[in-house]
Amino acid sequence: MSDAWTERLSEYIDETLSEGERVAIEAHLASCAACAATLDELRRVVARARALDDRPPATDLWPGIAIGIGLAPGAHPVASLGQRRARRRLSFTVPELAAAAIALAILSGGAAWLLLRASKAVPMATTATPAPMPMLVNAALSGTDPRYAAAVADLERALEQGRGRLDTATVRVIQKNLSIIDRAIREAQSALAADPGNAYLNLHLAEQMRRKLELLRRANALAGARS
Amino acid sequence: MELTTSGVATLRRDPDQAAGDAEAADAALAASGDGRAFERLYRVHVARIHSLARRMIGLDAADDVTQDVFIRAWTKLATFRSEAAFGTWLYRLAVNVILARRTTLGSERGRYDDSESALESAARPAAAPEISMDLEEAMSRLPDGARQVFVLHDLEGYRHEEIAKLLGIVSGTSKSQLHHARMALRKHLE
Repeated sequence: MSDAWTERLSEYIDETLSEGERVAIEAHLASCAACAATLDELRRVVARARALDDRPPATDLWPGIAIGIGLAPGAHPVASLGQRRARRRLSFTVPELAAAAIALAILSGGAAWLLLRASKAVPMATTATPAPMPMLVNAALSGTDPRYAAAVADLERALEQGRGRLDTATVRVIQKNLSIIDRAIREAQSALAADPGNAYLNLHLAEQMRRKLELLRRANALAGARS
Repeated sequence: MELTTSGVATLRRDPDQAAGDAEAADAALAASGDGRAFERLYRVHVARIHSLARRMIGLDAADDVTQDVFIRAWTKLATFRSEAAFGTWLYRLAVNVILARRTTLGSERGRYDDSESALESAARPAAAPEISMDLEEAMSRLPDGARQVFVLHDLEGYRHEEIAKLLGIVSGTSKSQLHHARMALRKHLE
């Protein structure tokens, strides 16, 4: 069996040889039983590979994904408002912007109360099912709001204490998504610094901050459930 | 169009087309933030994505990478254009995520052993002759480069030029790796 021909058998199978090479290798195969046998084996490898079945993972990965994208395992997922709003950004009308501004003004009063409530009701690592915490945050206000920072810090501390109860893959997913959200928050704050009156940016920042609180809260709940 | 009863006509739809339409609808819903639609997409595609990850970088990292693929898909859904099949878009994304992870894993493992001896090791039949190694297990013993080229070409249908671009190698290397992978795997056919 010639090594030079053997090396070209895969290309022959894949039909990537030139016409002249193809004719030459076929002439060789007609007279070389060893190369013909190897060709047959290689074809069977390709056929076997193409016939391989896909198998699902041994355990359902959806709960970890749901956490990663801010949805509770088993809960009714909520719409990602940030994505929807991002698409509608250019279609905001003046009345819509005015309505958004009014809504922000109304929410700014409620936000402080909600944040205060939230910081008092920080779920500990042992909390199995924390109460829903509908965070409506005026981003412009809470970008520097110490109560928001305190609530986040409390949740992060609780998560640090409970992380030993989470498997490493889940911890990695949580950390990764926290870093994604943190980056989104920084970018939104930076954009808002240049355009403080932009209603979309305010809403976007509020959404990211809400996502961070929600992710931390769910991670703590998960750690608590595994204690 | 098919006539069923007198005066009543129904449209007969290709099942694949119907599944594609349902997926496109779920992708649009998911892009608007609908988590349930995204979970349906996950259920449909998780086996293929996980199998791809398992074959490309091994069982140990497959779960983690699969989760990463779907999380990234969620964040990038706005970039999905419904002219293409959602599955095609997702698999392309998965390959990119897996190859990015491969770089990290390669650094962590501190090796990419594509040597002849590694190929020979993969080609060596199981110690006990009665234990036949299945093709997947034999694939997992291939050196990283040969395994990735084999999976991308023979299982996923990528061309050598595309593989070369993805892996940062030249097309000739991709062809060579593929051939050596096949030559090693043929010993496990029985």
